Amino acid sequence: MNRRLPPFVVWLRDLVVLLLGTTTVLFFLLRLTGDPAIVLAGPDATEAQIEAIRADYGLDRSLPRQYLAYLASIARLDFGTSLADRGPALEKVLTALPASLLLGGLAMLLVIAIAIPLGAWLGARRRGAARAVTRWFLFVLHGFPGFVIALLLVHVFAIELVWLPALGASGVASWILPTVSVAAFLAPKLIRLIEANVAAAAGSGYVRTARAIGASDREVLWRHAMPNALLGATALIGAQFAFLVTGLVIIETIFAWPGIGWLLVQSTVSLDFPVVQAITAVVVVNVYLINTATDLLQHRLDPRLRHRQALAGDQP
Amino acid sequence: MSGGGRHYARWELVTGGSLLGIVVLLALLGPLLAGHDPRFMDLENRFLPPLSPGHLLGTDQLGRDVLARLLGGLRWSLAAAFCATLIAFCVGTALGLLAARSRSLLGVAIRQVTAFAQSFPVFVLAVTMVAVLGSGFVAVVLILGLVTWPVFCRVVQAEAGSLFAREYVLAAEMLQMSTLRLYLRHILPGLLPSLSVLLAFHFADMLIAESALSFLGIGAPLGAATWGSMLQESRAYLINAPWLLFVPAGAVVTLVITANLLGDGMRRLLD
Repeated sequence: MNRRLPPFVVWLRDLVVLLLGTTTVLFFLLRLTGDPAIVLAGPDATEAQIEAIRADYGLDRSLPRQYLAYLASIARLDFGTSLADRGPALEKVLTALPASLLLGGLAMLLVIAIAIPLGAWLGARRRGAARAVTRWFLFVLHGFPGFVIALLLVHVFAIELVWLPALGASGVASWILPTVSVAAFLAPKLIRLIEANVAAAAGSGYVRTARAIGASDREVLWRHAMPNALLGATALIGAQFAFLVTGLVIIETIFAWPGIGWLLVQSTVSLDFPVVQAITAVVVVNVYLINTATDLLQHRLDPRLRHRQALAGDQP
Repeated sequence: MSGGGRHYARWELVTGGSLLGIVVLLALLGPLLAGHDPRFMDLENRFLPPLSPGHLLGTDQLGRDVLARLLGGLRWSLAAAFCATLIAFCVGTALGLLAARSRSLLGVAIRQVTAFAQSFPVFVLAVTMVAVLGSGFVAVVLILGLVTWPVFCRVVQAEAGSLFAREYVLAAEMLQMSTLRLYLRHILPGLLPSLSVLLAFHFADMLIAESALSFLGIGAPLGAATWGSMLQESRAYLINAPWLLFVPAGAVVTLVITANLLGDGMRRLLD
């Protein structure tokens, strides 16, 4: 049924539905738990402040009218004002976003830089002590939650050795520990996937053909097996990039990194609900954009997907 | 998979299974083994290092016995991860079975939610919901279970969809087997292998998510002995009392690796 609409319209419609769904869930959750005015006003509010908030947000009106007013204000990108400093909630989130994107981008680059060569090496090698040891190391590393890695890294490199700062986001030296912490807990999954894909490609027909016409091991790995292995990994890289936000919540808190993860925890603990709401909306949009980018990239890279879509488009 | 793979799988299952047995036993016998109340503060004996007389793993900044807190945290973590996994499993499987064949609006809605949730940072949702709904064991378990069910739903949808195309299921349908009997006899048993793999990995994920929540100070109530809160508190005393970090960190990692061993072993066995 989507085929009649232009892709961009479908894309926009899905994004709107998604935002509508998320904000609606938040709206009703807030009202499920009792009087939202008390939550919105924060823990130390006086009776008069709660009354003011009730009037401000129109909480004295009926629920359907409240919901419509709420949707209207979100459509105007108005998420209310932060309870901490009375600034617009959305602005606060957008100010924190670049720091998170920097950390996420650095970590993702590091993960890809490690995972591709290591995955290729593991997948191309059939046996050997070095391979077994590396695989064991990765299995154990996979058992380390991101925040445990971060705490241990801080202990070793910031407390014991005093090589790197333990907190903040000022200067390249302070980027290292947070980036490595995020990367260390994302890398094992991607390495395993690339390894499995390279190993699977090694047994496939096109690699056998390439060998038969005299391609070297190196050529087979990098020209034939690797592009296909990466194709399969694109989806995971995209999902991980979207999922990064999860890891960033804790890693940013540990390193006092001024991104949206840290802001989320701060706003959660201080019950600054307008900011929490704005963060959720910004995260949803970000994840949606990343998913779209991943899909587009996959279609560009994979002739089979393009072909299948062309076929599907022809059918009535 | 070759014979070596099966051998390796058996090794993983035996190791993971025995570790799990030990861990469950420790959780059950916890209070007996610890010999201390995890909340009892002995301010005269703060920061005792591990292997001190009477305190096998030492004491923390308030003189509380680290072993007692570790075992208390084990109970909390095991119970929370188990319940959250169970909720996600039940909700996800039920909705997945519903969506696998349904062409109704509900089926479409479930499929849409599942497709998006695959890459939605659910932990952000969990943190947000804790902020709104409050903390405590029941809240944490419900929230973690209810934000992660799509993981099960997705697998059930895909696998059940392919099972419905199998000849023996078609035959059973043609013989007019009742829907309930069809699901119990043919669909659920067919789903069991991949679901058990997923259960193990999901348990590990829930374990990490729960300790992350209590690490952030928004999961467990204040003062409760959980691994997350132990890790959080250790940060102030890293220089003088590193065991306060190493003990709970080791515990979290051991339990996650146990679940990963079981999941990995089962997956190898299925391949």
